[in-house]
Amino acid sequence: MRVLTVDDSRTILAMLHHTLSNAGFEVLQAEDGQKGLDVLKNESVDVVITDINMPVMDGIEFIRNVRASGMHNSLPILILTTETSQDKRDQGRAAGGTGWIVKPFDPEKLISVIHRVVH
Amino acid sequence: MSDLDDFKATYFDECSELLLELEEQFAAIEEGDHSSNRLNAVFRAIHSIKGGGGAFGFSGLVGFAHAYETLLDHVRDGRVELSEPVVALCIRANDIVADFVAAAKDGAELEAGYGAEEKLQFDTLTSGDPDMVGEPMEEFDIDFVPVMVTIAGAEDDAMAEAPLSLAILDDAFEAPPLAPEAGHWTIRFTPHSELYARANDPLLLLRELGTLGDIKVRAVLDEIPALADFEPFGVYCSWEIALRSDTATEATIAEVFEFVEGNCDLTITRGEAPVAEAALDAEIEAMPSFAQLMADEAQPEPLAVAEDASSAQLISFEALAESMKPALKAAPPVLPPPLKQAAPAEEFDGENDRRSGVEDRRNGVQSIRVDLDKIDRVVNMVGELVITQSMLTQQMDETLRARYQELVRGLEVLAQTTRGLQDSVMSIRAQPVKTVFSRMPRLVRELASKTGKKIRLETIGENTEIDKTIIEQLSDPLTHMIRNSADHGIESPEKRLAAGKSESGAIRLSAEQAGGNILIAVEDDGGGINRERVLQVARDRGVVGPEQALSDEQIDQLIFAPGFSTASEISDISGRGVGMDVVLSNIKKIGGSVHVKSWTGRGTRMTLRLPLTLAVLDVMLVKVAGSPYVIPLSSIVETIQCARANFSRMPTGAQVLQVRGEYVQVVDLASRFEMTTEVERDNRFVVLCEAEGGVKVAVIVDDIIGQQQVVIKSLEENFQSIEGIAGGTILGDGNVALIVDVQGLKSTTTAHKSAA
Repeated sequence: MRVLTVDDSRTILAMLHHTLSNAGFEVLQAEDGQKGLDVLKNESVDVVITDINMPVMDGIEFIRNVRASGMHNSLPILILTTETSQDKRDQGRAAGGTGWIVKPFDPEKLISVIHRVVH
Repeated sequence: MSDLDDFKATYFDECSELLLELEEQFAAIEEGDHSSNRLNAVFRAIHSIKGGGGAFGFSGLVGFAHAYETLLDHVRDGRVELSEPVVALCIRANDIVADFVAAAKDGAELEAGYGAEEKLQFDTLTSGDPDMVGEPMEEFDIDFVPVMVTIAGAEDDAMAEAPLSLAILDDAFEAPPLAPEAGHWTIRFTPHSELYARANDPLLLLRELGTLGDIKVRAVLDEIPALADFEPFGVYCSWEIALRSDTATEATIAEVFEFVEGNCDLTITRGEAPVAEAALDAEIEAMPSFAQLMADEAQPEPLAVAEDASSAQLISFEALAESMKPALKAAPPVLPPPLKQAAPAEEFDGENDRRSGVEDRRNGVQSIRVDLDKIDRVVNMVGELVITQSMLTQQMDETLRARYQELVRGLEVLAQTTRGLQDSVMSIRAQPVKTVFSRMPRLVRELASKTGKKIRLETIGENTEIDKTIIEQLSDPLTHMIRNSADHGIESPEKRLAAGKSESGAIRLSAEQAGGNILIAVEDDGGGINRERVLQVARDRGVVGPEQALSDEQIDQLIFAPGFSTASEISDISGRGVGMDVVLSNIKKIGGSVHVKSWTGRGTRMTLRLPLTLAVLDVMLVKVAGSPYVIPLSSIVETIQCARANFSRMPTGAQVLQVRGEYVQVVDLASRFEMTTEVERDNRFVVLCEAEGGVKVAVIVDDIIGQQQVVIKSLEENFQSIEGIAGGTILGDGNVALIVDVQGLKSTTTAHKSAA
């Protein structure tokens, strides 16, 4: 299974990569929403995990663009969030996000959340 | 855990970059540039520092960064004005964040209350906004905030407080609610189209629900319209689920649906609803099926079809599970005690393992394609680097060494690194000999059928790696050698049987690495070289003088002489008169040598000695008539001062060197290359070299300068081929030196001698 991880923090990307590849996922990475879109143009993935606060194109815009492309209607997108205000989370969901992961995530939770949205 | 340390290292690296960025951004903000780009960048930097810090539990840092971030959020929204005092506060806050980061990195504790004053100012500045204040650090303690759910029949105040607008369907079930029974739940779930638009999948929700306990699912299809009214993206299906679980609570059930909150109508009721077959019988009659809908369009009364199809509408979880991949363990039809959750979990693990196997394999062979040209350029540059490095080392004389010890140490490290770099680069070009070896079985089969012999081929060490260029040059020589073995080596089955050998002959092809060389051997268990015949043919063709006595080894070596062939009749396979001499010249071209050893009646072994790489050569640097020459180190046996050497003259007048009872042919490089040397005979040196087949040559040079590595430059490509010279090289000081070809030196000398 392939996961696209989109986050501007190298630390988070590294931790996601470590956790996911240990769980047997193939991990693709992008540092912002625009790069995430570029990846999706060329690669097919089973699930996307994206941060919200990113330069160039933030996560909300990224999700909106993914859904608007019409190519990825059934692609689960998980929002990586530290926001507790539910604000960003709701915006992300309104844009088309499938679910969310609250940072800091623990590896088991992360994997179990992915299994909640992917066959 | 070292992984965590790695992540921390990444995090602190990132922090220093972000702190630097903060500094730059605020330098501009101080100048009055309050553009949203800058403010967003600042917010993100603090956000990232906080996010990573949270992952490692740096609570002091996270607490401060959180308050600071809240302020920045207000600033970028315009809720707080970015006045001069606020900018000053932020700049101070940056320093505090930096201190927190530094402390976290060193594992040090900051004094209690550090940054508390600034934090208080943040809170004051943002306090106008109640929903942000005191906004909890709880997110760092829990991974998921449980979602509150309205429960039908629950206390009123609980319903009033419920923040979610889940539809409460009092009339969800026609039958009156049963008395609540422990462990029984009824869930009614009606997705909205947004649920699908966000890539949520009811099947996955049901699967998740199935992990809580034993479930029975009924699809409610009443809403399905006639086909004419059917909207492709319309949502017409809902589900009723009976859950039996001793552990499930409203909260855990609601958590299953947390991602679809607001995108569905959901009721969770304690107690068992009539999702039993009997209660549904009547409904089933009335339920339209897709088949029926289709049929309605065409024919008025397709009853039988409708009934069959609709009876399938009662879906138990078993049926669902069947359709799901990976399959969940089927729930028994009669509700048993709570389902063991382990079963599905194991299934998933299995799936994961299989997946990871695939990924591992995929990862294991990760590679990129690179132009060979590019690699060659790197190889060349590394070669030049090796030269420069050895030049630097050369120029360090004793006085410099004594004076600049640091420099000497640096040079040693440089030498080591260069060596490592060179090895790595060479390994990029390396390929297993398998690529050549794998063509040979077919060749042997063809040869066997052509000659009517029985031959089997064994290959050993086919994973041995050599430079790609060498491998490419290896195919022809190996083919020739194997043909030779099959044609001349292996006897016919009758002959073999008569000699007491097994009917079928064997050819063994092997490769191994020996020091800086690769040895490739072709061995057969045939009759061995017929030395009498070889010598006879050689004398007939003038390759060997009539009186010249040759050792067995020298006779064996004759099969590589140009134009030499012993095949009495020219065979289709190897006897075209061009054969082994081609092997020799091909192998020499790539810096290798060929050695043959034969045992009469027992077989022959031909060994190719090949350099690991073509690019770099270990040499001895010598001087002849004022010019530098290099002799490959691999061919040097020893060096002797001429004054101590034991020369004598043969009756023919040729000079020989006596070493440990052996007479060795002498070649004076100066006279060989037609130069005159001023150096007195006794001050010169003898470099004793060994050519192919163990034949020695004593090379006389003016002076020995030292050992070093050189990059071989082809003389043929740049000038023309010269007998006795294998190529050229550029020395560290920029001088060009010629590489002495010991083998060529010997053969030309022999020719000279026979001419004389």
